[in-house]
Amino acid sequence: MVSKVLVANRGEIACRILRACSEAGLESVAIYASNDADSMFVELATEAIMLEGDSISETYLNQQQILEIASSSGCDAIHPGFGFLSERADFARAVGDSGIQWVGPSPEAIEKMGDKMTARITMRHAGVPVIPGEEIEQEDEGEALRAIEQASSRVGYPLLLKASSGGGGKGMRAVQRPDELLDAAKSARREAVAAFGDGRVYLERLLTGSKHVEIQILADRTGRTIHLGERECSVQRRHQKVFEEAPCATMTEEIRSAMGQAAVAAAQAVNYEGAGTVEFLLAPSGEFFFLEMNTRIQVEHPVTELVTGVDIVREQLRIAAGQPMSCGELHLRGHAIEVRLYAEDASNNFLPAIGPLAVFRPPEGPGIRLDTGVRQGDEVTPNYDPMLAKLIVWAPSREEALQRMRRSLDDFVVLGTTTNLRFLRELCDVPDVITGDTDTTMIDRLWPNGWSPAVPPNFTDGALLVAAAAESAGLNMSLSVSNQMVGDSGPVSPFLTLNRRYP
Amino acid sequence: MQHQFKGHDGLIEVLLEKQGDHWLFNGHTARVKDSRTLSLDLSDGTTGQATVVKVKDAWWVHFQGHTFCLERIEPGTSDGGDEGGLTAPMPGKVLEVLVQTGDVVVAGQALMILEAMKMEHRIVAATDGTISAVHFAAGDQVQQGSALLELVE
Repeated sequence: MVSKVLVANRGEIACRILRACSEAGLESVAIYASNDADSMFVELATEAIMLEGDSISETYLNQQQILEIASSSGCDAIHPGFGFLSERADFARAVGDSGIQWVGPSPEAIEKMGDKMTARITMRHAGVPVIPGEEIEQEDEGEALRAIEQASSRVGYPLLLKASSGGGGKGMRAVQRPDELLDAAKSARREAVAAFGDGRVYLERLLTGSKHVEIQILADRTGRTIHLGERECSVQRRHQKVFEEAPCATMTEEIRSAMGQAAVAAAQAVNYEGAGTVEFLLAPSGEFFFLEMNTRIQVEHPVTELVTGVDIVREQLRIAAGQPMSCGELHLRGHAIEVRLYAEDASNNFLPAIGPLAVFRPPEGPGIRLDTGVRQGDEVTPNYDPMLAKLIVWAPSREEALQRMRRSLDDFVVLGTTTNLRFLRELCDVPDVITGDTDTTMIDRLWPNGWSPAVPPNFTDGALLVAAAAESAGLNMSLSVSNQMVGDSGPVSPFLTLNRRYP
Repeated sequence: MQHQFKGHDGLIEVLLEKQGDHWLFNGHTARVKDSRTLSLDLSDGTTGQATVVKVKDAWWVHFQGHTFCLERIEPGTSDGGDEGGLTAPMPGKVLEVLVQTGDVVVAGQALMILEAMKMEHRIVAATDGTISAVHFAAGDQVQQGSALLELVE
């Protein structure tokens, strides 16, 4: 039985899970750091409890504190979301040991898939094809660097260094030439130590021109394991996905079936339970290779939900409660595209940006879904991940979905903080995106010297006119409003808008 | 009415004309609809609603899928031009300093590695030159806009 769920996460995914709990008639507990006291997710839970401490390790990564809150508030399940503690086998084990249900797979499954080198070996044994490469077992930096150097000549260039405990592009480096290897290996190890406390890296052949295609799976305790078709997430910047869709534009029924079977085999090899994603590289030849399995809900799960009609988070809660999953035979319907709205400067190497969301006005209309954890008046801080929202559209065909995405992005207004909105909008006009001919190197190939926006003639003049006219007309009262909302938990006085200045 | 904004290559002057409730500039017309909205009529026939908000000294403008951040220069202040550009792009922590004072560097060379938002960022030399000062050491916290190093061409 599951009746009260603690959501051990924040932001957008916490909102997604807390709403699913509410729809399922479950009580919920949000936990939050003091700098999240005014965040939206805190308001969506039936109970909200503040975490003590300042840093992430004292708050959202503090296993003991979270367990104590779960017990004292009478929770019988913990949903970890993604990131933070979601792939920490020791936490999943501690949760189970306290008699609380973990919404996710067993600690053993997390361990086997979480250590990427172990996962490669497990998959080879299960008959799932893996990318040609070598695991580096040495932990000592000097020995590891020597072993990496030796392995590199066998793996061949270009190659990819990946952190064994890695994810989200952290601790990952592409190496084009032998003379770049040592620097890249040191930097990948350093980033891996900082992010995961484990500097071990392994080598893989860099398969250029390949697509990143992943299969969503669900497995329940009755022994049923199914796949929900694929998502294509080839369009990435700095190894982080920005544009995802379902189905994959170039997928055939044969490859989908083979890949789906491989994904189910991968899940069964670790006695998987709950929702998970098996990631593959799909080569132009139609060959595919196991990349890794994410043992949690994924950022891009909505595109699968829109084309299958399955509420994946709701199924997670059902499976955790020991019930069979509710979905029957699946049919893919139409096309869904998701873009990730980041607070970042796409024209300056995608550098994260901060600032107030003085205006945050998402698009509306049929076939549009917005998953976000922010609203107008919030402040984007450097404390957490710079992802502001996921904009997802559905339409009967891929062409119509792209048209809907273009319109939605044009209508999306975010002012006060630099975002990648324009970059996402221009992506929708890239010929390879229109034909579905995307691969993981597309962004670097299209914009080798960095992206900058194509601004129509007169638009800059028009914007200058608007800014100058707004200044002359004295419209600058909005600043005092947004400033007041930031860092002040009190209600915003309507009289602040009277602080209008007429120069 | 005259306004000055910071541009990529120096100052941009906007000489604004007012006719009734219309504002004119370079053949384009704007009219205030409400505190956040102006209707815009460009000389090429493009028309639409612009959304606008001021944050500190900058006007943010959205028009037909394009977003602009226009920093206004208050009359009487200096143009506040960028010096060298070796400033912290984000608040963060210095992970590694790759050069020391007196080093000769080439454009594109990595000088410092910062960590912000859990990602590494390289501070690279924009031009060839000599490092004349290093203001931070590994482990230091830096604020956005802090001068990290000085580079003389």
